[in-house]
Order: sequence, then structure tokens, then C-alpha cells
Amino acid sequence: MSTSVTEAPARSDVRRGRLRLDGVRKVLGGKEVVSSVDLETEPGEFLTLLGPSGCGKTTTLNMVAGHLTADGGVIEVDGRDITAVPPHRRSMGMVFQSYALFPHMTVAENVAFGLRMRKVPAADRRRQVAEMLELVGLDGMADRHPGRLSGGQQQRAALARALVVQPDLLLLDEPFSNLDAQLRVRLREEVAALQRRIGTTTILVTHDQEEALAVSDRIAVMADGVIHQLDRPREIYLRPGTDFVARFIGEVNAIEGTAAGPVADGYACTVAGETVAATPAGDPPAAGEAVRLYVRPEVVRISTDGAQGLRGTVRETRFLGSRIRCVVATPAGEVTAALPFDARVPAVGEEVTCAWRPSDASLAAR
Amino acid sequence: MTRLTALLGGAFAVLVGLFLIAPVAVTVASSLTTTAYVTFPPQGITLRWYAEVFQKPEFLSSFALSVGVALGAAAVSAVAGLAGGLAIHRYRFPGRAALEAVLSSAFAVPTIVLGIGLLQWFAQMGLASSPFTLLLAHLVLTVPYAVRLVLAGLAGLDRSAEKAAAGLGAPPFAVFWHVTLPAVRGALIGGAFFAFITSFDDLTVALFVVTTDLQTLPVRIFNYMQYDYDPTVTAIGTLMVLFAVVAVVVIERFVGVARLFGADRDQQ
Repeated sequence: MSTSVTEAPARSDVRRGRLRLDGVRKVLGGKEVVSSVDLETEPGEFLTLLGPSGCGKTTTLNMVAGHLTADGGVIEVDGRDITAVPPHRRSMGMVFQSYALFPHMTVAENVAFGLRMRKVPAADRRRQVAEMLELVGLDGMADRHPGRLSGGQQQRAALARALVVQPDLLLLDEPFSNLDAQLRVRLREEVAALQRRIGTTTILVTHDQEEALAVSDRIAVMADGVIHQLDRPREIYLRPGTDFVARFIGEVNAIEGTAAGPVADGYACTVAGETVAATPAGDPPAAGEAVRLYVRPEVVRISTDGAQGLRGTVRETRFLGSRIRCVVATPAGEVTAALPFDARVPAVGEEVTCAWRPSDASLAAR
Repeated sequence: MTRLTALLGGAFAVLVGLFLIAPVAVTVASSLTTTAYVTFPPQGITLRWYAEVFQKPEFLSSFALSVGVALGAAAVSAVAGLAGGLAIHRYRFPGRAALEAVLSSAFAVPTIVLGIGLLQWFAQMGLASSPFTLLLAHLVLTVPYAVRLVLAGLAGLDRSAEKAAAGLGAPPFAVFWHVTLPAVRGALIGGAFFAFITSFDDLTVALFVVTTDLQTLPVRIFNYMQYDYDPTVTAIGTLMVLFAVVAVVVIERFVGVARLFGADRDQQ
């Protein structure tokens, strides 16, 4: 598919597909599954709803698709209120974890289904189906039944079926979860490349944080029916806005301190008598307020030259292949650093200082 | 040792086959006898008894009644099976569990008990014996089976496929027609086939529902045999076997018998 992608005609001039959710809620079985979700995409954006199972991300996607009706709030596409529009009158291509191909139809018939529903003449239909199958790397598979395809091929067919109708939005519901690890990574990269090429606004639902970071323009981290943080992958990772986001994605050093005041490149706080800095998530705290700093192991640097930072004693170092993990016992608790493989590895028991760039860490009130 | 096992297994299979086919073979053979009573092996060869069958209009009208009721049972079972299966599979309604329990326990009720019950019930409701009451009686036997088959078919359908179809612009009926129905097609054909056979074949229930003017073929044969045990009966039996064979061949030709039982799943 990767080769077909580069040969395919560019359709990135599509400038539609601005999705807006305003205060969307959903109650299922007496429980408020989605509480009040607001978000707005740019046309052509790849936005991911990321969260653990039961966080409301799939429910939100189903409301966008029209399979569930919102109990409150407004859903708009390009300024058109679609909150109460039935699914078949929205223009959404959806791809499911289970592929959801029609088992009694061939690949070509599956892909042609949306065009048939739109009464596209047979000749145009055939041409568009052939083009789309080539685009997803399934040329030659047109006459097979879905049961004769591998998981990856089935998901490509499902993607072709969703995209051939040139939908306003492409909705992906955990589309890679049923694939094995290697194929998952390859297919997600292909999908991201294809999406960038054709420019269809895409909403991905996933619980896989690495997948979200790898493919998204922006990520909305959801838990308990609300969006905790909506930002670009780098910000989500380096500057988590809430405790949940910090702990759900990757590993984090959560360090407790007291707010001191703004400094040139961030906001200073006192941690166990030392002064360190980070970037406030949201409004800066008032001086003296209790705060928590979130520092990823990758941004922690270890030095022995007495620089400013958290001082401590090296307790353990471990070679992990891509990184060296180094745990430092400080008065504020243990701090983990993931050092590059060619860094100088401190000796266990050595006195060191842990420091980071204030722009690479966040702090929030506790 | 394995060769011996294979040999014994083969022999066993042949014996089972013979056991199953022997009564049919005896019936067919004895219908050709020249004697005025049923005997096996047949004495001489004649087609006289077949001519007799066609000279007895009551047998022909019974055959027509049986076929008519069986076709009705097949059609109604397919439709009711589809509706019932969809309702039970899709919706949570009061009495759903009870309905499912009744449908699965219907198999456990002896047909004679059912016949007695229906006799009482029809009488109390003031329903005179008619092809319609016969059909109702047979539906009690066949609908639960059709519902079961449809439920099995629906269990194999991914609900996401219906969502995908709707998302691709298919209105609810188109989703049903293009996605849901193909998933239960085999179940519907199977259910209708079973309903036809069950209805056409039924003696026990029909015995309680019929009158002297209105007799299905099995009842007609049963009653005839009480007074005349001549080879006409075996000739009719042979014709019924022939009818079944033709039916199976026709279905095989146009649908494929294996498909009736969902065997098309793995070929995909």
C-alpha cells in the first residue's frame, strides 16, 4: 500500500469536515457515560479520542456517526446541525475493530456498497472501486470474499469501503486492535499517510497511547465521560494537564511541591527545599499553593557538577536496550530518568542532580 | 490395526445405512406385488396398485391438502421465525425470557399431548376443523424451530456490519435487505424446509384436528390401513418417497441442501 499511496492522485484540496461537539452528553443504562464533551476539529485534521475502556470515547464516536442519539448538546459538521439526523443521512465513513465487512459480498461489492446506495452509475462505480482498491493496496483481491482475506487485508477493504464515498468524516473505531503487533504499526502508519494525502477529517478511537501519539494531529484524552486534555501529541506527553493524563500515558515522575512564582522560562516551585521549574497546565497557581510537577523520565538529565535541580543519590541503574533507566532517591521521593544509551551512567550511590527544561514538564494544582 | 478399525468402521456405516433404508426398500418393493395383500418379497411385478391410487380421488385431495398446508406452514414459519428471531435477538421486552423458554420447550411437548390440547382449545374457541386450524396446529410444531434457526443465524452476524451499512447511506430497510437478511437466508430456507417436511409428515397432531371430510395424506393412509391393507398403501408410500426425492433434488439444484444447514459459512 505504501507505494500505491505515493502514486495516488492527491485529493488534499478537500477543505471540509469541520466537526464541532458542544456540550454533548449521553446516558446509557442510567449512567452518564459521556458528561459534557466539547471539541472542534480543523478540516482535514486527524483527531484521536484516547482513553481506557468505559471512558466514553466509543459512545462519543457513535453519537458522531448517528448510531446513538445525544441526550444533550449539539453535533455539527461544517456548520450543519446533525444531532438528530439518522446515520444514513450523515456522510460518515466508519471502520470498526471487527472489520464489519459484509460476508456474502466480494471485496469489490463491499467497497461499491456506499456508491450503490448513492445511486452512482455502474460504470463510475467500477472505476471508483478499482481506484480505491489500488489506493489501499488490494488490487487483485476484488473478487475475493472477506473470509478469504487476512485481517490486515480485511481492514484495508473496510477502509476502502469507507473512503470511496468521500465522506465528510472518517471514523475509526479501534481499527488496529485486532491485528498483530507488527501489522498494527505498519497499517496505522499507512492509514496516517493515506489520511494526510486525501485530507479527510478523521476521528480515531483508541486505548493505545502509543498509537494515538504516532498518528494524531491532536489527541483528546478522555476519562469518566469528559475530555481531560485536548492538545497536540507532544504537549499531551510532555505537559499533561491532569493527574489522569500524566499517569495514563507512559511513565511519569509526579513530584509534589509548593508554588513559588513565575520565572523567565516557566513557573518556579519549591520541592524539598530546592527550586525547580515547569510549565503550568492551564492557569498558573498562586504562590504558596500546593502543586504537583509531572516530569517524564526521558526529559530528566543527570549531572554531577552541582547544577541546580533535585539532588539525590543514585539507587539503581538498568540497561534497557534503547534507554538506560536510572532511579535517584531524592528528598521529594524517587525520580526516574531514562538516559540515552551513550550517556554517562552514574554509579549506584553517587550524589547527582536531576534537572529538566521547564518547557518539558508541567505542573498543576493538587 | 488401523486397517481393521477402518474396515469395522466401514462395515458399521454400511449396516447403519442399510438399517435406515431397509423400511423404504421394503415399502417400494412390496408396492409392486401382484397379490391383493402386502407382502415381502413381492410376488410378481405389477403397477396395478399405482393405477389404484390415481383412481381414488380421496387420496389425491388429501395429497393436495397436505401440500397446501405444508406450503403454508413453510411460508408462515419463515416469516414468523424471522420476526420472532429478530425481536428476541434485538429487543429487551417484558416476557422475552418467557417467550424464549416457551419456544425452546416446545420441542419437549409430546405431539400427542399437543393434539389433545389443540382439540380442546379449538372446540372451546368454536373453530371448526379446516385447513386453517390444521395450519395453526402445525405452526405450533414448526415456528419454534424456525425461530431457533434464525437466532443462530443472527448470532453469526456482526452488528457493526449493519452500522457500517447505515453509515454508507443505507436507510433502515436497505440495511435489513442487504445485510441482515443475507445473514439469516440459510436459516430461513432451512426453517421453511423443516416446516414443510414436519407438516407434510405429521400424523399425530393431525389425527386430532381433522374430520372425515378433511384428512391429510398421512391420516388418510392411516385410516385406510385400518380397513384395507392392500398394496395401494405401499404404492402411496413409494410415491411420497419419490416426491421427497424430487423435492430434495430440486432444492439441491437451486439452493444446495448443504446450504440449508449453514454449510456455506466455511467456503467463504
